[in-house]
This record gives sequence, C-alpha cells and structure tokens, in this order.
Amino acid sequence: MANANPNANPDATTTPRTPLTRLAAEIAALLREDPRRVVLGEDVADGGMLGLTRDCREDEALAPRLLSLPLTPAATIAHAAGLAMAGRRPLVILPSATALLDGFSGLRELCRLSGSAGGERSGAVVMIAPTGPGFGLGGDGAASPEDVLAALPGLRVICLGDARESVAILRAVAEFDAGEQPTLLLLPRALVLREVDDFIPVARPLGGAKVVRRGEQATVFAWGATLDNALAAAAASEADGISVAVVDVGGLSPLDADTLAAAAARTGKLVIAHPGQRSAVAAEVAALLADRALLHLDAPILRVGGAAGPAVYTAEADVLPSVAALVAAIHEVVTF
Amino acid sequence: MTMEQTPWDPEDVAVGLDREGGLSPEAEALLPALEPRALYKRLVAARLLDHRLGRLGLPMWAPAAGEEAVSVAVALLLGEGEWVYPGMRDLAIAPILGMDLDELARQVLGLAASDGERRAPALYNGRAGALSATDLGVAHVPEALGVHLGMAAGQAHANKLDGHEHACVALFGEGLTTAGLFHETVAAAVSADLPLVMICKSQLWPEGAPAEAGLLGDSVAERVKACGMWTRRADGADVFGVYQALAQAFARAREGRGPALVEVVVTPLYNPDVPAHRDPVERLRRYLDRAGHWTPAVEEALEKELLGQLDRAFDYARDGDKVGNG
Repeated sequence: MANANPNANPDATTTPRTPLTRLAAEIAALLREDPRRVVLGEDVADGGMLGLTRDCREDEALAPRLLSLPLTPAATIAHAAGLAMAGRRPLVILPSATALLDGFSGLRELCRLSGSAGGERSGAVVMIAPTGPGFGLGGDGAASPEDVLAALPGLRVICLGDARESVAILRAVAEFDAGEQPTLLLLPRALVLREVDDFIPVARPLGGAKVVRRGEQATVFAWGATLDNALAAAAASEADGISVAVVDVGGLSPLDADTLAAAAARTGKLVIAHPGQRSAVAAEVAALLADRALLHLDAPILRVGGAAGPAVYTAEADVLPSVAALVAAIHEVVTF
Repeated sequence: MTMEQTPWDPEDVAVGLDREGGLSPEAEALLPALEPRALYKRLVAARLLDHRLGRLGLPMWAPAAGEEAVSVAVALLLGEGEWVYPGMRDLAIAPILGMDLDELARQVLGLAASDGERRAPALYNGRAGALSATDLGVAHVPEALGVHLGMAAGQAHANKLDGHEHACVALFGEGLTTAGLFHETVAAAVSADLPLVMICKSQLWPEGAPAEAGLLGDSVAERVKACGMWTRRADGADVFGVYQALAQAFARAREGRGPALVEVVVTPLYNPDVPAHRDPVERLRRYLDRAGHWTPAVEEALEKELLGQLDRAFDYARDGDKVGNG
C-alpha cells in the first residue's frame, strides 16, 4: 500500500518548495479532478525524469493513468493526438523541449488536428518541457528551441517567467483557459529548481505578458531564464541613472500584442533579450512593435542574444544574453 | 488442389478463396455472416469508386485497384465505437460504413464545410481526395509519414484505459515500414500491450523491388513477429483469407490479448502481366459464377446502379456548390 508508507507522501512543509515539487502535486490534483486526464512520456510511471509524476505514482487511483512509453519521440506526440481523438486529456511530459524537434512530425499533425478532423476534434493536449540552461547539461539540455516551436500554426506556446507563478500557469494551461488547442508549457531549467516562498495566482489571461519592472526611459522584453539577466541589466542601468522597464513576454505564440505594444509605447526605446544568437520569437516581437508602436519609437529596436550554441555544459549560461551586453544595448537606445 | 504459384502469389498464407473460386472449409463456415453476393457488391463498389475518383484528375491521386478486399473486410469487421486510421488508398471504407456519398464527394472535391454550413472548406488533410468521418470512426489521413499509426496507438490506449473491448485499426503500405514512426508504433504497441490492429499492404516484386518498397527480408510479418507482436500474412486477392486473418487480429485486440499485425499481399492491377486471379473482384466472381449466381447481365445491372449513385453524388456536389454560391 503506497499510502501506508510514511515517506511516500511527504508533508508539503518538509518538501523543498521548488516549482518541480509543487507542480508534481498539482499534476496529481489535476488528474484527480478530471478522469479524462492521462500523463504520457518516458518513465512517467516511475515518477518521470523531472519527478513531475511522483505524487501521481503514490496514489493507486492515479497510477493507471501514467502511461510510460519507450523512446518514441514522434509516436509519443501522435499517441497523445490519438488519445485526444478518443476524448482524453493527455499531459505529455518531455525530458527536454528539444525532444519536440525529434518528434516534430507528430507535433505538426497534432497542431492541425482540429482542421483535419473536420472541426470535430480539438487536439486538447498539454506538453510540458524544460528548456534553456540551468541543469548544467549543456548541448540540447541547454538549448532554447522555442522559436522553432512557436512558429507552428495551431500551437500555443507559454514560457514560465516567474517561478512563483508555475502552479497557477500549469493549471490555466491544463484547463485550456484560452481555448482548447495543443499547448506547450516551457519550464526554464534555471527557474524550476529555485526555492520559492510563495506560489502566487496569476491575474492576467493565459499567455498574457506582464510588466515585471516599471521604468521610464527604455523597455527590455524577455522571457524565461533571460528575464533574470534583463532584470539585472535594468538594475545596473538604474545605478547609472537610467530608468528601465522589463516585460515578461510570457505567451510566445500567440503574442500578447496589446500588452507588448502598450509597454513599448511608454518608453519608445526598446531592447529584446533572447536566448541563442538569433530568435524567431524576438524577430516576431520586433516586427509587432514596429507595426503597433511605430509612432512612439525613438530608436531602432535592438535585439540582444547569447552564444549560438550548442553550449558546453561548463559554460551553458553563455547561450543567454549577458548583463553587460544588455546594459550596453539599453545605453545605446537611450542615447540614440 | 495443386496450382502452380505465380510470382505474384504469396507463400505462407491460409487460403480462404482459391484462385479458381473454390472455398476452403474454414471459409465455408463464414458464409452465413459473409453473404457472397453482398460481399461481391461491396468489392465492385470499392473498385468503381476507385475508377470514378481516378477520373477526377485529382493531384497526386493513388489508385487502389487490387486492394479492395482489405477495405471491405475492415469495414465489415469494424464494430460500434471502433476507429480506423486509413491510408490514402482506403477511401472505400467510409462509404461501406455508411458515409453519405454526397458528403464523400464534397470532401474529396475539397468543398465540404466543417459544420455543414457555408463556411471555409474543412481541411481533412489538405490533399485532394482526403476523407474524415468522425461520426463513423474514420480518421483523416495525416500527411506526415506514419503519424496515423502513432495516433491509432493512442486511440487504442484510450480504449484500453476505458476498459472497452474495442480494437483500433491502422492501415498502411509496406513502403512505410522503413519510416521511424512505424518502428516507434510497433515499440509503443508492444510495450504497452495495446489493442491495436496494424494492417500492412505489401506487394511482391517479381520484376525487382525499388529502394522505396521498404523490403527488409522476406516479409513485414516476419520482421514484426521478431519484435514480439502477433502477426499473420494474408493474400489480398482472397477476400475470405483477408477477412479470416483480420478477424483473428480484431478478436485478439478486443479480448485484451495485445496488438497484431496482418500483412496483406496485394497486387496492383495496372500491370498487364498480372494474372487475373490476383484480382480480388475477379476471384469472388469466379466463386459466384460456379455457384450460378453471376451472369454478364447481373454484372451490367450492378455496375450501372453503382456508377449511377457515384455520378449523382459528384454531379450534385459540384452543382450544389455552384447553387450555394449563387
């Protein structure tokens, strides 16, 4: 009896309060609430590589809905699509966002399911994947493939930007608050192992952007792990007398165009921080702001990235834009 | 009965209906359920549908003449609440299951609206000649190679979780068996013991196989058996043999005894060297002829009736669209 084991279901006060441990509890709660939900992925019957199904595994009523599969990258996503065709609500837990590149054909089909099934199926599948640097893995384990994924028509892509919001955002994603469609929740590795004092609700709609720091002279747009460096650059600029706002883009596809455009219009000096050397998401944000905030712009929109990758595991944070590069870009737009 | 094998005849298959139109005792036992004249009508209807679609000039159209026994047997075996994930050559399944021919014509011509009203045409899969019938359990055909196999495995998994004694069926050609998704689906179905019936239509290649035929060894059935799946081989010219092998696979899946793969050896009929007994329609016709149930006049009346239905549906789909826009 799993529940008879005193170590099996540790009290929340003794568990480290990281997003991963709290998300594991939330996934169990989601499965209890809706019997259509199933979890799919490698090792999920054993708790999963991230431990996200540990709580489910300890509950005998939930364990049968943990569907472990072999290393079948495309078939796993197609499998989720088939489960959704049958009215199930699959949560696919992936070891890395780059696994979706291995399974791209399945993902592509999932994203066109609502059209292909004559409008009678929605493809209500949630995918949860860690992304970017943070675990010291390097290579694919530090890559940020969100720009490729966000380009897929039909896929909603949400990137966690604040560890405290992780539980609320997972719930909003799993409940398809913004409509039933395939939804990818990216969990930046740098965020999910953080100790968090307080898990907070999210007032904005799912996929909404959020001003995380107010400022008057420039605005930095960022998402995921890059937000840390953006906030550090804003603080450093403040010390030099430059007031900088920082916006968490949040929803990478679709973009929260209204919030982003309003934030851009307030300063007219814009910097977009993104992982990797180039980013289609950053380009999309820049194009959006050039379109929606043109009359407020007082400088070219600058994009600041990191190393192209693949990253060496000993220096994986280099794929993110450095604080120094961001400070320089802020200075450049402000003094343009 | 000894008959010389031609290079188009598969070995290692249980014969239901032999090339002269004679039934095995096992096939005789199926007769109450499989009424031969009704079965013949379905085979002819599938053949004529293929001919009618071939005349539409659809881009990238793939003819299916010679493969009708599979479509007919699948449609007859599919139970209430069961789903089939067909390939591009299995369009006959949906109308046999009861899809309205007008709706079939609208979808094939890319004219169908997703809610039946005058809205943007539904996608199905973006290709001309694609079908989907959610109400009948007929899935669309994804364009990406083999994705429908993985989807069928997922639906089979849902059946298993629900405790339904339902099989889920996926059809494909042997060329797909070199694709990653084929191997991934075999692995997933075996490891999770899913009620999945995989139906592979293979060709023999008496004149040499091209690289894209996907030949690895003598048969797909042998290959997949080595992965731990129950497999059988059947002759696609023998509708009774196909039905028997598929019936076993369906029964296994429904009884929770795991996935199955049935390899059906079909012969494309466009090659003039192919002997007539490789045609499933002709083979059943020989049986009916021997039983005194076939005459040229009966054949003519049957084809006239079926072609008339098809012509009416396609004419109506096109004219109806003009009226709708007028």
